Amino acid sequence: MTVENAESAGAVGKPWRISASNVLVGVAVSILALLVFLAVFADVIAPYDPLRQNLINALQGPSARHWLGTDDLGRDVLSRLIYGCRIAVIAATEATAIAVALGVPIGLFIGYRGGWWDWVVMRIVEAIVSIPGIMVAIVIIAILGPGLHRAMIALGILFSTSFLRLARGVVLAEREEIYVRSARVIGASDSRILFRHIFPNIAPPLIVQVTLTVGAVLLSEAGLSFIGLGVQPPQASWGTMLNTAAAFMQLNWFLSIPPGIAIILTVLSVNLLGDVLRDSIGRGIAATAPEGRTATFEPSRSAASPAARPETRENEVLRVEGLEVMVGSDPGLPIITDLSFSIAQGETLGLVGESGSGKTMTGLAILGLMGAGLRITRGSIVLDGIDLRCLASAEIEKLRGDEVAMVFQDPTTSLNPAFTVGSQIAEVLRAKQGLSQRQAWDRAVALIERVGIPQPGARAKAYPHELSGGMAQRIAIARALSCNPSLLIADEPTTALDVTVQQEILDLFRDLQDEFGMAILFITHDLAVAADICDRISVMYAGEMVEMAGVDTLFHDPKHPYTAGLLSAMPHASDRNPPLPTIRGNVPRPGAWPAGCRFSNRCDFAVATCKQPVALTSGERMVRCLRADQLDLRPGT
Amino acid sequence: MTVRPLLEITDLSVTYWGRSLLGLRGKPFFAVKGANLAIRAGETLGLVGESGSGKSSIANTVLGLVPASSGSIRFGDHDLVAMKTRYPSEVRNQIQAVFQDPYSSLNPSMTVEGIVTEPLRVHTNMNKAERRERAIELLKLVSLQEEHLSRHPHQFSGGQRQRIAIASALALRPKLIVLDEPVSALDVSTQNQIINLLYERRDALGIAYLLIAHDLALVHHISDRIAVMYLGHIVEEGPSDRVYKNPAHPYTKALLDAVPLLDPDRQRARRESRKLQPALDTQRVADVGCPYKNRCPMAMPRCQTDMPPEYPVAGGGVANCFLLAPEVEGHHATKPSREKRIP
Repeated sequence: MTVENAESAGAVGKPWRISASNVLVGVAVSILALLVFLAVFADVIAPYDPLRQNLINALQGPSARHWLGTDDLGRDVLSRLIYGCRIAVIAATEATAIAVALGVPIGLFIGYRGGWWDWVVMRIVEAIVSIPGIMVAIVIIAILGPGLHRAMIALGILFSTSFLRLARGVVLAEREEIYVRSARVIGASDSRILFRHIFPNIAPPLIVQVTLTVGAVLLSEAGLSFIGLGVQPPQASWGTMLNTAAAFMQLNWFLSIPPGIAIILTVLSVNLLGDVLRDSIGRGIAATAPEGRTATFEPSRSAASPAARPETRENEVLRVEGLEVMVGSDPGLPIITDLSFSIAQGETLGLVGESGSGKTMTGLAILGLMGAGLRITRGSIVLDGIDLRCLASAEIEKLRGDEVAMVFQDPTTSLNPAFTVGSQIAEVLRAKQGLSQRQAWDRAVALIERVGIPQPGARAKAYPHELSGGMAQRIAIARALSCNPSLLIADEPTTALDVTVQQEILDLFRDLQDEFGMAILFITHDLAVAADICDRISVMYAGEMVEMAGVDTLFHDPKHPYTAGLLSAMPHASDRNPPLPTIRGNVPRPGAWPAGCRFSNRCDFAVATCKQPVALTSGERMVRCLRADQLDLRPGT
Repeated sequence: MTVRPLLEITDLSVTYWGRSLLGLRGKPFFAVKGANLAIRAGETLGLVGESGSGKSSIANTVLGLVPASSGSIRFGDHDLVAMKTRYPSEVRNQIQAVFQDPYSSLNPSMTVEGIVTEPLRVHTNMNKAERRERAIELLKLVSLQEEHLSRHPHQFSGGQRQRIAIASALALRPKLIVLDEPVSALDVSTQNQIINLLYERRDALGIAYLLIAHDLALVHHISDRIAVMYLGHIVEEGPSDRVYKNPAHPYTKALLDAVPLLDPDRQRARRESRKLQPALDTQRVADVGCPYKNRCPMAMPRCQTDMPPEYPVAGGGVANCFLLAPEVEGHHATKPSREKRIP
């Protein structure tokens, strides 16, 4: 009952992780802090009154008395720049606050309500967004009249559209979450659901949007003041200073430099801060650096070879020996350790285990499709006599579909929604077997008929969404078998289906195996499904195999306490008398495996010696338990 | 039997309307058609059926998340359909829910304390300290500890999250909890922990459950009664043991026969018997007559045109199947079960 460490997976990006960005963020934050400091204490810091004219000293360059020189009326540029900070801060705060206060509630409301409200508001927003922003601001100022505050109201209205769309977008997504449904069942009012339940989930993108808006407001304010619609002379703002500088460009080019640099630095700092915030708060963005699409195979470090070897079978198709898979960089975290099994032609091996046991990863490892960050560090995978670990990735790619094929859990997502199901099967045939378009299509229709779909010619022209889940899974099976592979990996192929459909699909697998003779690696969490379809079953727990036996032996005489626990926990096994048998605790995550026997902390039969590593016994019947010979775990005893 | 049920659903229909391009009403989809159900206080009713059978629609209608299009739902003295999904506080706080997916049913931005005490905040005047005390009490009810209060949902496993969801559902001491596939997203070894917990709480607190699930064996374990749905219709209802051991409706039988068994020998025997059966039309939609007529191995001419009414089943409950009609007595489906009962 321990709370798991969520940090290990790296799903949650930690802020301030990379040092280079640390420095940049530090610089950005100091610049912004300085800006605010100057704005607040402008009266004290500025060496001169920004409005005091001194026409004799007009348009002078930098000097000891005037560090940044003077403008056309002899006013001190440094003082005006410092007072400009005040305008900048006021402008940014005011416009951003108006934008947030206006955009977020409306966005929340229309996103939650939908219907006509949403339709009308969104058309207005689209109209505003379709016109260049500064034009909209100018129109609003034309109505309100010029001046800083009026200009900021105009900018606030303009920028509220982006907050509105952001809030609406998040609400539209969150509204469908079950926690919102739970809140409605509790009886929370709409406004409570909006502000207490949904709003906190908007906060991260909102913060980022605020920083970006601040930058945009600063630029717009300078722009509006520059054309005389914002801050009115003689008040000092960066925009009016630029205006002046433009007018006297020929006489003193330096005038444009101080406000220009101030604007650039401030906007850059704000945007940089926004970027960093987005990366750190964003859900899992750039959490792991991908090293390449497919998993890398490393040469075997065969020295410490594991002891257990699966017995050699007649007509062996697949042989996995001592497989070890690691995640992360050296040394990495083991996901699968010491895994060995073999499958013969026409045989179905079940790989059974709960989530986190590594059963799906085993299937992907055989296909060489483990994904970024994962690699095989030990062991061998021999398919039809070829060690897959010695092949280049292009050669493995050639084997995929030809020699080994896969059927996934959810047929509606494993088929491409943009193409007809017939063309998806035909494509495999054309690519792998070089058939002509006509031949491939005919073969595809024949395959669709073979997997028990009535009217195959018509159904081949259907798109995946037009088929039921069971039909789509039949298509996926037809596609997997199109090149007559010697090994079929089926990963929870019936889990998403209704029981009556599940039965049909299991029968189909059996029929097809009788006909094509392929070996099947059947991955499932459901022991009863495994009992139906498998010849032999390998039980996995926490990344290793704990037991392997023929299907009858395993169900009638389990040797490992975990297998026995799973069997008794299945609802089919016990009578209608609670409490139902349970296995205490949870499956440990990789990295939190107990030393020695990984099941020891949940095992009722654990003894002191279970803290030492336990080897798998060899042969037909494999068990990884020190007490396997002492325990009688047969069901009903 | 004279005690009035806590929840009584009569002739309930739920219809969803598709939307056409201009936002006008499009084609109707009849999710539930003329359903009758009753749950007594402290009782568990299991509602089973395949995806699309309408079982979640019934749950959502009871919870006031979806409006009923006709029929009535009586809860205590309240007519829920007349309230049109706007339940007053005294109804809301008596009906709670636990949903399937513990990964999205808990608000990721709230702490466990916030999640568990949210119902108290909405419905009671308890102050913060009182709420916290109740939250600790609730966590203990679901075998979690006080220290978990300040954590966020992502720090827990699926089973633990479901415990938190249950604690929140228990907060207001409801009379009815709707459990919508409460364990189907969990691992086998965790499933039973949650089932046991639900069972314990039910007996200790006298709560009634409406349990929605697709796993008949599991439903059989914790339900007092089972109702089976097919294409929007309830086709059979009765005491749990009777439905599970002597199903009267051909669909219930098919459903039970399809559940894989843990015994390879019996599995094999069943496979052999399946091979002898004729292949059936897979067309599932039926507009007139019995909803199951196209897949039913025992369909009669009458099933094509008439909708079978509820017939009483020996051993308790009802089933909507003409095989149970008095006039076909002698070769109907429940006969074997009667013979069995003769000692």
